[in-house]
Amino acid sequence: MKKLLYHLCRLGLAAVFLYAGYVKGSDPVAFAGQVAAYQILPYAFNYLVAATLPFVELLCGGLLLLNQRVRPALLVIFGLNSVFMLALFSLLLRGLDIDCGCFHPGAEGEATTSPQMALLRDAGLMLMIAVAWVLRQQQAGESLDD
Amino acid sequence: MSNSLWPPRRVLLEAVVLVTFAAAAGMSLNYSMVMNAFSGRNVVSLPQKTAQSPEEKLPVPVDYEELDELLAAGALLVDARDRNLYNDAHLPGALPLPLGEVDARLDDFGKRVPRDTPLIIYCNGFGCPDSFDLGVRLLAEGYQQVQVYEGGFPEWRDRGRQLESGGSQ
Repeated sequence: MKKLLYHLCRLGLAAVFLYAGYVKGSDPVAFAGQVAAYQILPYAFNYLVAATLPFVELLCGGLLLLNQRVRPALLVIFGLNSVFMLALFSLLLRGLDIDCGCFHPGAEGEATTSPQMALLRDAGLMLMIAVAWVLRQQQAGESLDD
Repeated sequence: MSNSLWPPRRVLLEAVVLVTFAAAAGMSLNYSMVMNAFSGRNVVSLPQKTAQSPEEKLPVPVDYEELDELLAAGALLVDARDRNLYNDAHLPGALPLPLGEVDARLDDFGKRVPRDTPLIIYCNGFGCPDSFDLGVRLLAEGYQQVQVYEGGFPEWRDRGRQLESGGSQ
């Protein structure tokens, strides 16, 4: 049962981050525009984030999918998710109503995701990360295998 | 191995290596985009002339670095964004001509701005197509020098340059 839960969380997270990394990595300029809409970073740094972040997501998603180096990957997406949630929370505080830029860059006119919804979704991801982490730590403790 | 929630040192180290590796991969694939952004050059290259339309004139891209010189020489900034965004803040001296209202407002614009005025059009940057589309339209209207500032409003603002707000006269 625990095993099933672990694999479900791992594969679910892998799917989310592989998808997110792929759609953003294939259009970095549009993604930079979405990062810029948060008005947190200076102009050129939005491009720096857009150039690198999708690849971090892709690598973590890939490792989770292959069940390799799962704990480092979980740790990194925990960090990413924390930053995303802080950024979304800052949108609420500043009253900025922009698309969260979580998945589709440049999806103008399509349904956008409000900061509230994105926060809720990220909280769900956080829960999956926590469950996968605890179960993986237990496994590692039992078998010394990671 | 401890059974605690805290990650072992090896896992932390591997996480750092993972991020470094992925960031390096991303940087090498997007190197020119990032370097152009940091050096004030255009990130997005404008569409080139296609075989089907060799006669059609296209706007010329202008980098952030060239802007001041062109403005000092008398170029006029044209804001292609929505009216609300223009009213919130725009580049100093810019005239509003939102792409969405261009049909209704082009007559008025044409009366106020002579055809030989050099124009620099901008919108929201980051590959925003409105400035380019407006540029094509203005060239077709007979404006002779039409340039597009791709970095647009976000680059100007984030470089700490002066902005104006309010509607135009």
